[in-house]
Amino acid sequence: MKRFVTSFAAAGLTLAAGYGVASADEIKIGVLYPTSGGGAIYGGPAMQGHDLAVEEINAAGGANGVKVVTVARDSKLNPAAAAAAAKELITKEGVNVLIGGLASSVGLAISEVARQEKVIYIATIPKSIKITREKLHPYVFRTASNTDFEGDALAQMVKQVDGKKICDVQLDYAYGHDLADGFMKALPSHAPDAEIVLTLRPKLGATDFNAYVTQIMGSGCDTVVSGLWGNHFVNLAKQGAPFGLFNQVTYISGGEIASHEIAGKMGADYPDNVVSNTYELWYHSPTDAHKKFQARLAEKAGTEETAMWPMLAYNGVMFYRAAVEKAGSTDADKVVEALRGLTIDTPVGPLTINAKDHQANTGQFWGPMKKQAGRKYRMMDPVTYIPPPGE
Amino acid sequence: MSMLTNPTIVFLQFMNSISLGMNLFIIAAGLTLIFGVLRVINFAHGVFFMFGAYVCYSVVSRMAETAGGFWLGVIAAGAALAVIAFVIERGLLHYLYDKEHLMQLLFTFAIVLIMGDLAKMIWGTDQYSVPKPEGLKGAVDFSFGADLAMPLLYPAYPLMLCVLGPVVAIGMWLVLSKTRWGRVIRAATQDREMLAALGMNVPLVYTAVFVAGSALAGIGGALAAPRVAVSPGMDVTIIVECFIIVIIGGLGSLWGSFLGALILGFVNSFGIMIFPNWELVLSYVLMLLVLLWRPWGLFGQPEADGH
Repeated sequence: MKRFVTSFAAAGLTLAAGYGVASADEIKIGVLYPTSGGGAIYGGPAMQGHDLAVEEINAAGGANGVKVVTVARDSKLNPAAAAAAAKELITKEGVNVLIGGLASSVGLAISEVARQEKVIYIATIPKSIKITREKLHPYVFRTASNTDFEGDALAQMVKQVDGKKICDVQLDYAYGHDLADGFMKALPSHAPDAEIVLTLRPKLGATDFNAYVTQIMGSGCDTVVSGLWGNHFVNLAKQGAPFGLFNQVTYISGGEIASHEIAGKMGADYPDNVVSNTYELWYHSPTDAHKKFQARLAEKAGTEETAMWPMLAYNGVMFYRAAVEKAGSTDADKVVEALRGLTIDTPVGPLTINAKDHQANTGQFWGPMKKQAGRKYRMMDPVTYIPPPGE
Repeated sequence: MSMLTNPTIVFLQFMNSISLGMNLFIIAAGLTLIFGVLRVINFAHGVFFMFGAYVCYSVVSRMAETAGGFWLGVIAAGAALAVIAFVIERGLLHYLYDKEHLMQLLFTFAIVLIMGDLAKMIWGTDQYSVPKPEGLKGAVDFSFGADLAMPLLYPAYPLMLCVLGPVVAIGMWLVLSKTRWGRVIRAATQDREMLAALGMNVPLVYTAVFVAGSALAGIGGALAAPRVAVSPGMDVTIIVECFIIVIIGGLGSLWGSFLGALILGFVNSFGIMIFPNWELVLSYVLMLLVLLWRPWGLFGQPEADGH
């Protein structure tokens, strides 16, 4: 047993030694995505986008001429684990910046570490409004959308489908609650005569939705407004479709269930009457930059039908690179100043980080998911870009 | 609360409770069987369930849309888990029976981690969708021509689970109570030393039970596949639910897990209607109450001595 422990520790040390040693001639990015368990579905593709960005930067001679290296940690879907990993990245690895996060609860946890340690954190995926409002501090920035933007878009969609009786179905944790708040704030201005007839809060990680489907169908609502993401939606759809749920209601959803990783994998199981969002679509290139990005990503992923998550991770790294070059330094306070008000060209067009609330003006593509001739899966048609409210 | 006065909704929730309970029972039955005989709390049961779902997906995706493809997937899932369980039991677990419980627990937990990573190496981190089998894609009309405000439709697939659960329960009960093998297994749960003294090949009994229990987890995973996304991490919730079921029902008791699974099904379906904000803790509270009242579970028996 003792020998086992020793060899295990030795193996751990060898692994650790594999990472770059802190030095002035490289920039260390501490990246945190879930790469084990249920979150790996998102963390895996996100890492592809992250690696693509780092490869491109180094191929172009680095940031400010300094080579960029990545130290990756598994953030899991667990705030405590992510906070511990973030601390370790800062104290042991000496990273210059933290980038990533997936679940909103994890994003908030990493942000808290960044605040204490005065290290920049760029939230690339977490959307809880709290990150850039109640819990805003000088070192946190967000390149993802947020629950206020998404809630506003949900309300616009309600107006578009002329929804009157709404079932409000959101997951029972930070993201779901904040998205519901964002939606409620926006609803009166977009669709004043819509009313909420039922509120449901399934738990994060729920797999059985039959009981919720029954309640939705019994409530008489014509529209479901939701943010059930990933497998939550897959499970709700598979269980709800045979009840006729999607014939009775229009299902409007945030949580990027229009992304191709969901639509492609669900194939014929993807239900009718779904209106949803995504940050990126491999089959929709609004800019030449997107065409180029998508081609490189396709090569890396080994398929033309790429996922949405890589671009989020990619943009986070590119924002940091641009800020370091603008600041001419990796000094956290100088880079903070550079990030405030910074605009960069991304695969979906120019994005700017607001100097006041540190939030990028990241919009999303919204539209109905339709069957396509010759395709085994649904695609968004038509694709409409909805910028953040007020833009 | 008004929903509770709507008979259609109550009926549908009743059916939801049973179909969820029966799917859970088929999985938990294997866990309780293994514990009853081997006295090993098998944490890996959830990951066996996940493998079953993945194997089913692999078979179904290769069979295209053939009608029998899904059922072949279910059988393949059971068979694959039987083989995996055989290798694990004969090759490893077998040597741990006389070690302390903690070692066994750590061992099964190691299997969870290893097989979890193995699944990622084989199937990647994508989520997959297994379509419902032909003939069970639609819904059954329960209104019988009556003119109702809300259609009384219940989907065919979960309805099939409502039937399959009791079939599995009765099948297992018949095997355990009416066959020679069943008597040997029951004897092993009572007194393994005596069984060995009587010249029975106890290690063989252990292997057979571990293989059969694990095959049930695989079959349960395959049966769950058309209802849920097949993806990494699907083992986490199921193992917790299975433990709640076998603890409520009594570790090692077949009918205990049957009842425990039904109770959990009802708590899930009606709990979210009556106490929407307490759904998360409801099943744990229930487990706690049962443990306070009958620490050995509803159908379990208090440990008589130190076996």
